[in-house]
Amino acid sequence: MITRAFLAIFLFLLIGLLGFFAISLQNDDMQPIKTQEGKPLILDRELYTIEGMKVDKESLFSGKIILNVYASYCLPCVIEHPFLMEIADSKNVKIVGLSHKDQIVETKKYLEKYGNPYDFSILDLDGSLSLKLGVIGPPETFLIINGEIVAHRIGVIDIDIWNDRFEKYF
Amino acid sequence: MIDLKNTFRFLLIFSFLIQADTLYEDIDEDELERLEYLADNIRCPKCSYGNISSSNAPISKDLKKEIASLINEGYSDQEIFDLMQYRYGDYILLDTNIEDNKSIFLIPLMILVISILLVTTYTIRKSK
Repeated sequence: MITRAFLAIFLFLLIGLLGFFAISLQNDDMQPIKTQEGKPLILDRELYTIEGMKVDKESLFSGKIILNVYASYCLPCVIEHPFLMEIADSKNVKIVGLSHKDQIVETKKYLEKYGNPYDFSILDLDGSLSLKLGVIGPPETFLIINGEIVAHRIGVIDIDIWNDRFEKYF
Repeated sequence: MIDLKNTFRFLLIFSFLIQADTLYEDIDEDELERLEYLADNIRCPKCSYGNISSSNAPISKDLKKEIASLINEGYSDQEIFDLMQYRYGDYILLDTNIEDNKSIFLIPLMILVISILLVTTYTIRKSK
């Protein structure tokens, strides 16, 4: 009798554990790192574009802005690039690039080769600006509305993620 | 032949003068110790495990540099931990807060207690 109870409990635990694994494996949005959603945008120093122009910081704190962190050495950035071009064409939103720890020449070559969806690209040679923003590595995409980060994607952005997390703000 | 030997000696003497430059600016020994302690206890955000002192990922190097500059600015260890936690979430801290993760610590304990109970009742019943 007691062996049966023992077996039943064992089986129950085993099925429970397998079920738990099966469910958690299907959930592919397991990011251990917290996104920057809900945090204010902090830019505490002068910013320059890759052309060497000063960035009007006030313009980054008003209205809807998509901030995309990219780099010429980053292969996933090439994957998401056509999607960004599509967004630039179809949505009425300002897309700002952030060139992450990249040489200016390489960034310009990259934009020439794949097209330029950005209004302008902010220069971040040593990665310190990205670090303050909580960027782990390109590609990353922020949606900023009036100086507040409302959506943040770590990794490649595509239509599914856009519809899931970004579309509701448009 | 002798010439080669002498050249080698000459080079050897001068090689003592070449030493590794310090990685971080304006940092004394105490502060370096603090930096090492902090780097040992902050997890690399890009890796699945491992602290930033054991990682060679670019972000770990940048983070170490930033921590060094924060130490220079006069931040305390706790303030640096809090800043990193705010920026990257609880995951970044290697020191787990048991209060926040009770289930992780309690479930194995519960399983242990239940299995001990089951085994003892089973053996007592069987011996009768």
